[in-house]
Amino acid sequence: MKKNTDNQDTSAPSHSGSPETLGGLGIKICGMKYPDNIIEVGTLLPDYMGFIFWEKSARYFDGVIPDLPKSIKKVGVFVNESIEVILAKAQKYNMQAIQLHGHESVEFCQELRDNLNSSIEIIKVFSVDDAFDFEVLKPFETVCDYFLFDTKGKLPGGNGTTFDWKVLEKYPSSKPFFLSGGIGIEEMEAVKEIAKTNLPLYAIDVNSKFEIEPGLKNIELCRNIRRDALQYVSTDNKIKNKIMSYNVNEKGYYGEFGGAFIPEMLYPNVEELRQNYLKITAEPEFQAEFDSLLKEYAGRPTPLYFAKRLSKEYNTKIYLKREDLCHTGAHKINNTIGQILLANRLGKKRIIAETGAGQHGVATATVCALMGLECIVYMGEIDIKRQAPNVARMKMLGAEVRPAMSGSKTLKDATNEAIRDWINNPVDTYYIIGSVVGPHPYPDMVARFQSVISKEIKEQLLEKEGRENPDYVIACVGGGSNAAGTYYHFLEDEDVKIIAVEAAGLGVNSGESAATSALGKVGVIHGSKTLLMQTTDGQITEPYSISAGLDYPGVGPMHANLFATKRAQFISITDDQAMQWGIKLSKMEGLIPAIESAHAFAVLDEMKFKPEDVVVINLSGRGDKDLSTYIDYFKL
Amino acid sequence: MNRINQKLKETKKILSIYFSAGYPNLNDTIQIIQDLEKNGVDMIEIGLPFSDPLADGPTIQASSTQALNNGMTTQVLFDQLKDIRKTVSIPLVIMGYFNPMLQYGIENFCQKCAEIGIDGLIIPDLPVDVYADEYKTTFEKYGLKNIFLITPQTSVERINFIDSVSDGFIYMVSSASVTGSQTGFGSAQEEYFKRIADMNLKNPQVIGFGINNKETFNQATQYAKGAIIGSAFIQHLTENGTGKIEEFVQAIR
Repeated sequence: MKKNTDNQDTSAPSHSGSPETLGGLGIKICGMKYPDNIIEVGTLLPDYMGFIFWEKSARYFDGVIPDLPKSIKKVGVFVNESIEVILAKAQKYNMQAIQLHGHESVEFCQELRDNLNSSIEIIKVFSVDDAFDFEVLKPFETVCDYFLFDTKGKLPGGNGTTFDWKVLEKYPSSKPFFLSGGIGIEEMEAVKEIAKTNLPLYAIDVNSKFEIEPGLKNIELCRNIRRDALQYVSTDNKIKNKIMSYNVNEKGYYGEFGGAFIPEMLYPNVEELRQNYLKITAEPEFQAEFDSLLKEYAGRPTPLYFAKRLSKEYNTKIYLKREDLCHTGAHKINNTIGQILLANRLGKKRIIAETGAGQHGVATATVCALMGLECIVYMGEIDIKRQAPNVARMKMLGAEVRPAMSGSKTLKDATNEAIRDWINNPVDTYYIIGSVVGPHPYPDMVARFQSVISKEIKEQLLEKEGRENPDYVIACVGGGSNAAGTYYHFLEDEDVKIIAVEAAGLGVNSGESAATSALGKVGVIHGSKTLLMQTTDGQITEPYSISAGLDYPGVGPMHANLFATKRAQFISITDDQAMQWGIKLSKMEGLIPAIESAHAFAVLDEMKFKPEDVVVINLSGRGDKDLSTYIDYFKL
Repeated sequence: MNRINQKLKETKKILSIYFSAGYPNLNDTIQIIQDLEKNGVDMIEIGLPFSDPLADGPTIQASSTQALNNGMTTQVLFDQLKDIRKTVSIPLVIMGYFNPMLQYGIENFCQKCAEIGIDGLIIPDLPVDVYADEYKTTFEKYGLKNIFLITPQTSVERINFIDSVSDGFIYMVSSASVTGSQTGFGSAQEEYFKRIADMNLKNPQVIGFGINNKETFNQATQYAKGAIIGSAFIQHLTENGTGKIEEFVQAIR
């Protein structure tokens, strides 16, 4: 990213809500001091964390930096320090960036640049007041990666006061910069205004306003600012020319997320699957049977429908991928067909599954009936009561529905019970997981089976628009299987913007929410390292959404990585917004959506699209199953 | 020498007891540990409760849930155990799931264990390969023995790998099951016990899952160095409170 200093494409206008610039504003949390606090703040995945190596600072750092998520860049902050000391510290602490906060000269920066590992960024700080002459910046442009503008005050930084950001209007450069100096929650409105302008605001740098005492950050405040910053537009996606894969690696990780954190009792089962899933699914006979069942039994390909009236209202081109037309009423069947064929080839006779709302349970019971296999579905005791029609469907299809009575008696407990069943029956049983969650290889396997969604989108768009890639793909995320399928073939095509829609429930801050990216921290759930909602003590908490298919306390590791790398933009939508869209889509297009899918449509009100943009929304399921919820909500 | 290694050098068969910290009451932890030692138990596994204990059956999950409701947390447990080494000298192992430890910070967690005098950890959902790659150095720095599980389905190759990474004992899960779901051992299990005994591993084996009385204890220790009782002891606490620990232990020994 640092090599393009003379040719930065950062001068393009970026307007608020403009789809031009996704990914949110970067955030640097500076002045870290205490190991426990560093770990805690690290779980919020800020883009940068700053460690001050200036002895006179109250936040002087002289400890051991605990292991942090790899996406966080550690920044060493120095004031008029010698090259030798900087290099030594950079090496000792494995820094990814150096911030120069004193009167370092252009020559000094150049010398540092020449001696520093080329992957380490240099951030040069300038203290700004009304009289600041921006012309002094010019010679620094080629020797540093970013500028950082701080308030001119008594100390080199950490004064806790803002400068008048109006002077930035005079900023003549396209060099991306950090904004610093006394930024607190109250200043965010003004930050947002700057983010709306053409200025190449790259990230905000926060410190004293987010502290309990010097060096000790207030985690809740940090969480809020991190969340806020993500909502704001910036130029950083253009600046960050990241070369990385968003797909799973050979060890089962997406970036730092994924893996297989399973008890030894499960190891043989999961290992058998891991060794065989790619081999078996690559066999021509497997593919032929899979394709044939998708076509003849599930009803694929599903149409890519141009939503004329919606497109007109929002003045852009909106296509709906009609997964609601799949057999059993949602995309879930794509995955269960794939897994049942795999189970057959592994010689398994007994199928188990977990279900929340019952959609995956029904899709599993369906394919078990198709293959004549025994089927046991675990479902939380509370969900059984809430979803009577799906319980009846599963029974009609010949499945046994076993109530999960432990814990909170909902989806996560049904998953625990299914895992326990598998531990108790390691030889003849196959576990069909319903989403891109669980230990490797499940997230990848389920994503592959669902990837037919984006494969078809490409083919259909080529026919309709003369191009394979849309500008946007939008899908709702609970665990994230329909989203994984919708994004899959676009993951590496960065010209396709990915929007992930989470359930905000009654509101992200209401305590009744399932917005995992906003509320979650890195942890381990159901065998996978991912973002999950939990207490500070690491106990998993119960999410809430009016949509039973979105209230999972985690997200699949692929999505956690898309969030951490900002490849996808995450937006959360409340119960009410989604419910209103249930009505709106019904009336405007004659399509009654599942409440899960209705969340995805609400993005149309949150973002602005250009008339020529092609926007694909995955209509993952139909709304029949939600009729009683719609009736209760709208007194229909 | 670590207390676990020392204890395993003794000639007798080892009786190890598991209980969920904070159950039946939040502050029963210390009393239970002291009573178990007083009555001749050789080693104790202190369960750090977790909301979603995948490898445990209903008995231990219910006790964990109750302990959490009582207010048990990682920090509370460490506070309770602060002075445990003034009164207790048998090996103490913390058994818990990975996520609460991750949130506490692995290094912090290990450091705290070392300060208190905890000898080892059992983390069922931390796989041996991740441990070997990422955490072994930290555990060893604080002198903690990490104990791994094997099951009847574990391959010979993997058992040998686990044996090579371990330095304490190997926790032999008696059969393919979660905790607390067995009633007596059949011929398949005896065969498995014998098969493992014949491998002559570097680390002694202690058998757990399904040990609930004198008979199963004797069956297990015929082949292994010791046995662990968990759910049956929790059951005892549920029915009798903390008052009759002596009776429970004497019925086994």
